[in-house]
Amino acid sequence: MAGATKSELVSEDTSDTEAVAAGAVGLAAVLFALSLAAMFELVTVTDPIAGVPMVALLGGLLVLLGLAVIGFGVGSRLGYVATNPRPTAGLVASGAFALIWFVVGGLVASQTLGLGTAGWVVASLVAGGAAFAVSAVPREDIGSTLPAGARAAFAGIVFLTGVIGPSWVWDLGWEQQASFNAEFTIPILTAFCSLLVGWAAAKAYGGFGARGRHIGAYVLVYLNALSIIAVLFLLVAFTVLKGLPGLFNSLAFGAGVGPEVTLVGVTFSLPVSWPFVMNGVALLNDVNGVLPAIAGTIWLVIGAVLFAVPLGVGAAVFITEYADRGRFTQVVEIATNGLWSTPSIVFGLFGLAFLVPRLGNKKSLLAGMLTLGFMLLPLVVITSRESMLAVPDEYRDASAALGVTKWQTIRSIVLPAALPGILTGIILGVGRIAGETAPILLTMSGSVAPPGSQTVDVVGGFQFSLAPPFVTNPELMRATSALPYQLYSLITAGVGQSSNIGAIDEFRWATALILLVVVLGFYAVGIATRYYFRSKLQHE
Amino acid sequence: MNVLPNSDGAGLRAAARRGLRRGRDFVDETPPDALVTVTVAAVSLLAAFAGFLAASSLTAVPFAVFLVATGYGWLRHQELTARVLTLTTTVSTILVLGLILVFIFAEAWPTVQYATVNVFGVPIPGLRLFIETRWSPVTPPIQYSLVPMIHGTVLVTIIATAVAAPLGVAAALFLSEIAPKTVREVVKPGVEILAGIPSIVYGFIGFTILSPWAADQFDIVGQGTYLFVGIVVGLMALPTVVSVAEDALNSIPESMKSGSLALGTTDWQTMTSITLPAAFSGVSAAVLLGVGRAIGETMAATVMLRGSPGLTKPLYNVFYGNDTLTSLIAANYGDADGLQLSALFVAGVILFVTVLFLSIGSQYIEARMRQKLGGAD
Repeated sequence: MAGATKSELVSEDTSDTEAVAAGAVGLAAVLFALSLAAMFELVTVTDPIAGVPMVALLGGLLVLLGLAVIGFGVGSRLGYVATNPRPTAGLVASGAFALIWFVVGGLVASQTLGLGTAGWVVASLVAGGAAFAVSAVPREDIGSTLPAGARAAFAGIVFLTGVIGPSWVWDLGWEQQASFNAEFTIPILTAFCSLLVGWAAAKAYGGFGARGRHIGAYVLVYLNALSIIAVLFLLVAFTVLKGLPGLFNSLAFGAGVGPEVTLVGVTFSLPVSWPFVMNGVALLNDVNGVLPAIAGTIWLVIGAVLFAVPLGVGAAVFITEYADRGRFTQVVEIATNGLWSTPSIVFGLFGLAFLVPRLGNKKSLLAGMLTLGFMLLPLVVITSRESMLAVPDEYRDASAALGVTKWQTIRSIVLPAALPGILTGIILGVGRIAGETAPILLTMSGSVAPPGSQTVDVVGGFQFSLAPPFVTNPELMRATSALPYQLYSLITAGVGQSSNIGAIDEFRWATALILLVVVLGFYAVGIATRYYFRSKLQHE
Repeated sequence: MNVLPNSDGAGLRAAARRGLRRGRDFVDETPPDALVTVTVAAVSLLAAFAGFLAASSLTAVPFAVFLVATGYGWLRHQELTARVLTLTTTVSTILVLGLILVFIFAEAWPTVQYATVNVFGVPIPGLRLFIETRWSPVTPPIQYSLVPMIHGTVLVTIIATAVAAPLGVAAALFLSEIAPKTVREVVKPGVEILAGIPSIVYGFIGFTILSPWAADQFDIVGQGTYLFVGIVVGLMALPTVVSVAEDALNSIPESMKSGSLALGTTDWQTMTSITLPAAFSGVSAAVLLGVGRAIGETMAATVMLRGSPGLTKPLYNVFYGNDTLTSLIAANYGDADGLQLSALFVAGVILFVTVLFLSIGSQYIEARMRQKLGGAD
């Protein structure tokens, strides 16, 4: 195959054309960014940019970009540009182009030309078929540039001629009213076309063929990864920005400014006053806070961990170390995986039907703890089992060769070796359940905005008696709040219920932020633990 | 037992005999006081469980006995006690799944029975839940149709899958095949953190930012659209798809990829013609799990939707969002009782069974793939 295609190893003469293609990719990226900005109303479609109206600018750039890409393809076909195209653009690309042009043909025929059903079906088929033929029949350089460039140029012409202008509206005419307006349609069309042309230009930059496809695909895959991270960053940054003012409202440091606490018989004032996390909600508070919800979340997590971790680790030990691989371990695996994917609201329903009637017939902290414990259980089993399976069998054999019993091997060899993995799994699982709303909504939720006096005090709540049930704890048995539930109830509460809280919006965002901080804190610790132990393992 | 074919009957009998023999050996080999301890512990734990089921105030007594017995056993016969305790925890894990099944089915039954329809004289329980289209638990005629909510769940799931499947698989490809090490160290925790953001926070941002924006953009009356709930839920299902698909892609032996690359293909050609086809079943299992996540997602839907059960008009109008199965439960459990509460449990049963099937299906696919790639396991 080496001599079948004659290609220069160093292709100096292609640097100019490569620069054109790279420029087209760059222009597509600019256009994509511009359309995103327009979509989120950072710029409106009627705004002039450098004296040119936004619509005209977008349209002009699209036409330019489309023509550049088509020009590149035609130039390659005529031999002016050195490339390595395949005989055809491939079925996937052709199918995609056919679909795109099918939609374009149908919309133009039915909406712009006003043809009836038969008319638009014919137009759609003609446009789609033509696009398929154009991309499938000619060589790849034409097949992958012409339909894409034509699509962009067509959109540009539509914008430039004002068929879709700033005041364009397409009422869908549905029974429940909905319509597309220019402020949405123009950016989304531009974004789509710039992606399409950007892909075609990236392919052209790679000289089509295997290398071109490689580059075209990589551009899209990288863009996808980048946008996922961007969305994550935006979500977190937005919540932080909105939540910070409420969170640190009236924060003060200094001796004796904080609330009084009693530790081991000594009463003193904390040197910090942070009203949002130290207060409840009350009419006379200067700054309302979410202390009861924070305490509730902490106790929920403790209860769920105390319930689920021994059970989960024990089950993992049994199916990994004791049981022979067979029907039984399979059933356990299927059951744990099934439990893992069970929707959280179903756990809530289960808690409502199973726990609530048996725990004093009302919603309670204990019911919430156990429900979240049920949710945590499969996660603990799965991660513990994985990390125990990762312990090399040599360890077990060496220990067994010393003549110790199986349980001693497990206790002193397997569990310590698997501990990092188990810990990481538990921390990540706790992060997940700390943010769950649906299960506790049905099993433990209390008032919308609890006052500070309703903060749970589980340790102080235990009471012992000689009559059954011998041990009682009213703190465990009453409804309380937790951060995710607090946020939910603040969103859905009517005006009357939240009138105690002055700046309700600030309060909500601060609650969302502190929830995010708590949950992502668990995740950060979990991920950091994993990296720490992994790097330690690699150094050994 | 004469219904069974002969060989099966013989096999069963042999298995039973083997089990019996093993049991007898166990009894013979174990010291009597250890045996007594374990028996006492087991019986008292069963009694405690029965007491809890019956909501008895005496539950604490057998539980205390269990604690004492296991404590004694731990000190005197740690080997056996550890084994029995871990077995107990395993059984209780399965028991949880069984209890969920039993309890939500039991609670759902009254409404299923209420909605019985006679078809040609054959009563079919629950049929009326699916052939009516009105959810009207208070104003007569009382109807508990789940059709509007199923419609909503289906729409949201389709949109969410359209978002999560392609983006998730592309991100998995990126993480497992394309990204340089340093980039992966940033993107992978990022995807995990995306999974960590609580659903209510997604819902809150959707409720305060996306919903008003969508109402403005599409000239919709009121707020709440399946389209944007679907997009948000898709974002939440994305990490599940990414991590499971990445595992599947990573399980493809390096030798297969190297063999392809040695023929002079580009990385992308190797991915599309070797890695992806070989990992196809694993990747589809990932998508199935993502679909399961999307179906069960509750809080974002509850907060962002209108909470007024009904079909959109026309049916494919995704710009209006009424209710999904999950949001129906979350929004209505408070003031529901009797048959209405039971109807919510029917919604829960539908969710549970659907997602359980998806989970089992994806496990089956993954097991098949592992078998194919790794030979006999």
